[in-house]
Amino acid sequence: MNPVSGSRKARWGTYIIAFLITALIFATAFYASNYFNNQRIADIRATQDDISTDILSLETQFDLLQEHSCSDVAENTILPSEMTSLGDQLSYMEAQGSSNQDEVTRLKRLYSILEIKDYLLMQQLAAKCNLNPVFILYFYSNKGDCTDCEKQGYALTSLSETYPELRVYSFDYNLDVGALQTLISIDNVSDQLPAVVINGKVYHGYQSVSDIENILPQLSTLKIATSTAATSTKK
Amino acid sequence: MSDGIVMYVLLFISLYFEVFMLVSFLRRHSSGGSIVSATQGNVYEPKVAIVVPCFNEGKTLAATVTSLLSLDYPHDKLEVYVVDDGSRDNTLAVANAFGTDPRIHVLHKENGGKHSAMNLALSMTDAELIGCLDADSVVTPGALRKIAPIFENQSIAAVTPGIQTKKPENLLQHMQEAEYRLGIFVRFTLASLGSAYITPGPFSIFRASVVRSTGGWKHGHSTEDLEMALRIQDAGYMIANAPSAIVLTGTPRTLPALFRQRVRWSYGFLRNGVDYRHMFASKKYGNLGVIILPTALLSIGIAVYFFVHLVLSLLQTLMHQVVKIEILGFSFHPSFNAFYIDTSALWMIVLVSVSIVVALITVGTYIGTGKHRPPMGTALFVLFYSLLAPVWLGTAAVRAAFKTGVRWR
Repeated sequence: MNPVSGSRKARWGTYIIAFLITALIFATAFYASNYFNNQRIADIRATQDDISTDILSLETQFDLLQEHSCSDVAENTILPSEMTSLGDQLSYMEAQGSSNQDEVTRLKRLYSILEIKDYLLMQQLAAKCNLNPVFILYFYSNKGDCTDCEKQGYALTSLSETYPELRVYSFDYNLDVGALQTLISIDNVSDQLPAVVINGKVYHGYQSVSDIENILPQLSTLKIATSTAATSTKK
Repeated sequence: MSDGIVMYVLLFISLYFEVFMLVSFLRRHSSGGSIVSATQGNVYEPKVAIVVPCFNEGKTLAATVTSLLSLDYPHDKLEVYVVDDGSRDNTLAVANAFGTDPRIHVLHKENGGKHSAMNLALSMTDAELIGCLDADSVVTPGALRKIAPIFENQSIAAVTPGIQTKKPENLLQHMQEAEYRLGIFVRFTLASLGSAYITPGPFSIFRASVVRSTGGWKHGHSTEDLEMALRIQDAGYMIANAPSAIVLTGTPRTLPALFRQRVRWSYGFLRNGVDYRHMFASKKYGNLGVIILPTALLSIGIAVYFFVHLVLSLLQTLMHQVVKIEILGFSFHPSFNAFYIDTSALWMIVLVSVSIVVALITVGTYIGTGKHRPPMGTALFVLFYSLLAPVWLGTAAVRAAFKTGVRWR
């Protein structure tokens, strides 16, 4: 290319054009990011709607139990992996710290209510239909005041992978949901987190996989996974 | 101000500078008006002295001098000064082997640094132009003929060439090849903005009268090429760039050697920046003072900032993985879920920024070689340079703060 030299006198037009292009790139990036986040939220909302409908259907079936067999109802319960997957997606959105945090929190509150409804329904089903579902309620905090919550999450993930029928319900202790606060009150869960509730008894502090297997001998009645899936239980 | 806002502000500054350089290049390119129109077909052939300062350069000196003697330039108008700056190897013997050529002048002196070698040659020549060629570089035959006519413009005090690397032999050198292509773009665009602030050792040519009137070469914190360029700019002269005047230079083969070289360069910029601080943010110096020098300084801080963030983030991820492996054991379940693709604005902007860097390397390749494809080391450069550069930039910043000084080797 030909030799070049030029006056160093600033051409302000170049400065302005560069600023406009940079601002446009930033605006496009923020718009696109927001668009994709909204898509994710729409996905989560759709999944929640499905689960909500399934629970409502199940409740209705349960009410009509005298006209149906228990096996019909049990076949239609929500799979634990569906709940876990939804929880993982919400945790991801929360960790991303996107601009839609209010919406994410709303979805998380709804998710907690769905978990509680599923938990109650499964308890009722267990009583009426002689089922033996195994539950763990897990309370965590992600305010930075729970150093062992990450470890506890991994331990529960390990158990979920080993026993796919195990139902682990994870709750953000600090979430402002009336039903959740009632559950916390009923189970006497203090703010010494992490805490797990197993067979109605609360255990504060980190519980390892072997600790939980010892506390919960019913685990041995569950089927063991032949291959583990890549799921995780949020902290 | 929250950390997130600081990050986006710094990212905006970085991206703005990239876009500014690209827009400046495109505006220059589209407006034409290259100074070649004034020099094409020009037979302006002033007397030129090329100085080869040497300190223990016995291995590479012969190729350097041979390339100079092969320059397509009238023999009676070319002087080559090989200045042995107190070498302890066979540099002097290699230089003396060329002594039969009347263009060659071999000088020997006590070791005093590159600037002292340049000044010795300056004191002995009556050439109109004086240049430097580091003894690890070779010049192509047409290079001087591309540069000399530019000096017909009396406001130009120096011309920088198109510096390319010698054939890369390892991955580190491939990476540097991409970096030098980016350098070609940067040097070209800075010259078009009248804002070149380095006249590199490999074959930068100066108007001797300007060098003399401004005080000759100085130590310049071991970066006399940077100090000289700033001094020329300070005195109000212009520095041009002739990318088709091709010089091939050697690049460090090892990481420690590269690290030493870059610490020296960065240290030199920072210390000379202190010496010439009156030029920073000064409208008197136009683009150079308003954007080029401040951004060059700020970019050091930005690189270190993002590097520290990246390292902390990687450490945090590593700690999470250690905890996970402790609980779950080591398991690898490759899976893909589009939901978890990171679509944060930060990553999109980084991606755009990296794409622009690749575009600038491609433009640099086109300017320097006429080819349209960037070198194969471009991917390595993009992936690893952002991790390597902050280390020497940070080291240089600390050393500059404590004025430790730096050595050539």
